Amino acid sequence: MSWRASSGLRSWLLQRLTALYIVVFLAVFAFVWGGQTITFESWRAWVAHPAANIALLLFVFALLMHAWIGGRDVVIDYVKSASTRYVLLIVFALGLGIMGLWTLRILLLAGTG
Amino acid sequence: MRFLIHRYNPETDKKPRMQEYTLADINAGDMLLDALFQIKEEDDSLSFRRSCGEGVCGSDAMNINGRNGLACITPLNSLKEPIEVRPLPGLPIVRDLVVDMRPFYHQYRSVKPWLTVHDPEPETEYLQTPEQRDQLDGLYECILCGACSTACPSFWWNPDKFRGPAALLQSWRFLADSRDQATAERLEELEGAYRLFRCHSIMNCMDVCPKGLNPTKAIGNIKKMMLKHLV
Repeated sequence: MSWRASSGLRSWLLQRLTALYIVVFLAVFAFVWGGQTITFESWRAWVAHPAANIALLLFVFALLMHAWIGGRDVVIDYVKSASTRYVLLIVFALGLGIMGLWTLRILLLAGTG
Repeated sequence: MRFLIHRYNPETDKKPRMQEYTLADINAGDMLLDALFQIKEEDDSLSFRRSCGEGVCGSDAMNINGRNGLACITPLNSLKEPIEVRPLPGLPIVRDLVVDMRPFYHQYRSVKPWLTVHDPEPETEYLQTPEQRDQLDGLYECILCGACSTACPSFWWNPDKFRGPAALLQSWRFLADSRDQATAERLEELEGAYRLFRCHSIMNCMDVCPKGLNPTKAIGNIKKMMLKHLV
């Protein structure tokens, strides 16, 4: 079975891998920031660091992908009509896509200005 | 003892109703099936399926106080009154407590629940080690009563596409069989978003199985096997 042909297994696996990354990231995040008050300056300095920047970017994309697979599952389960399904999935995908691009913009600009 | 029984005759009734029956003379240690027989003596228009009466044939699966089970092995004294008896959920109703099992059997047939061997057949019987035989325990005991699949919301929503816990348990029964040689074909057939992967592991199936089997675990094993075949 090839990776391309395995759409069911692929979503299932990605759902689990993204969940794993989200949990690990949140644990590290809690460890780094636990007990501290986050100010605009300290947050900005942290996000400007390449490692934190990339980790945060991966986190947001893992979260978006996790949400996409989960949301798509809910739509496949409960929405019978194909046209309603397409509309819902397109709106959902657009929403997630915009959030992803917005995050990308914020994180790419984080070190500048 | 009070009973509320689902009644529906598509030839005369516009919609289903719950009919109340009271049995004064019933032993609380009896099974629900005994009570249904007694009700049928009073009202012979009541229809339900049953055969062996001892939890082996799987004919009398029904929804008892909101939970799928076999009427013949459900003691009356384990049930709260009034005892509400309905047909298995999610399947078309033929009449009263009798459902059309065709969607269920269709999915069962689709997993090719028989041994497939590509090699020439051996002259004597197929041999298995005791360990290989142990792999089939907890799988072959299924009596196809349908309690699990009709307790599964994923099967309710997509009974035409999702195989359902009973069929998937049987799929794993042959994937786990050391004599079967159709592993790749079986896994291939279960690919896609529906047939296997509509299962979200909510475990209703193992909760209601009257034989104490665990389809959720079998489904997990199929997923693990797919993963191994992928890498």
